[in-house]
Amino acid sequence: MNDITEARASLQEAMNFLGALASGIEQAIGQSATSISFLAGKRLGMQFSTGAPTTDNIEQALKTIRDVLVKFDCLWHFEPFKPHDRASMVACQGDEEDILLMYSDCMIRQSLFKFGHAQQGSLCNMMNGFFSGAIRNIMGYESSLTILHAGENACLKRLTVNRKTHVDDFHENGGSSS
Amino acid sequence: MVDIQLHDQSCRGCGMCADICPTRVFDYDDEKNKASIRHAEDCIACLSCAYICPSGAITHDNYRVVKNFYRDLTFCGKMEKFL
Repeated sequence: MNDITEARASLQEAMNFLGALASGIEQAIGQSATSISFLAGKRLGMQFSTGAPTTDNIEQALKTIRDVLVKFDCLWHFEPFKPHDRASMVACQGDEEDILLMYSDCMIRQSLFKFGHAQQGSLCNMMNGFFSGAIRNIMGYESSLTILHAGENACLKRLTVNRKTHVDDFHENGGSSS
Repeated sequence: MVDIQLHDQSCRGCGMCADICPTRVFDYDDEKNKASIRHAEDCIACLSCAYICPSGAITHDNYRVVKNFYRDLTFCGKMEKFL
């Protein structure tokens, strides 16, 4: 039990440090902080999803990402969301497919609230990058995760997969090599 | 499903709940100057409406409460001695 307590305390300190760091670099270097955090998250998403089963289906890809997160003990609960005025869960528009995602448990939100940092900053973009990296490995396409609403208990985001931008080094059943 | 309720008599008609809701759960009546719940099934329990409502007219039930990852266990351990 003591090990868990110590591990949890370490994680808490690390997340608080990361929250403060992200908030600090936003003030220091402005908009560039978002790009840096996004790319760091993307790299993490690609690392975590290496070897994950590939699919062309966006909903199946999300299930795989959930499995990847569970495998790495990341408690980051999300689920697809379909409002009443949306015909289907996945909407297609030209070469783009999008799906709404609702995030409830989020360690980033918790660490931001701890010291009163604003949401939708660079740290949120790091996790957006995580999704982008994972989708790149699992589906072989570039994607973006847009924050539609950052709430106190849940956030609503839109995941857009661009089927025009197929990754060159993507191999089925193996993901991308980079 | 999330159970969202709006206390009609408490609503001051500011409309901030309708403005902040990302899934358009609320409807605003311009004549009565009152908000009402129109699409409760779309509520994602972000709780932004409840936080922003100046008169505390909005309540939620049966929703997933975010796990508290960052409870200060050392502090809690110290406080337990006094409880």
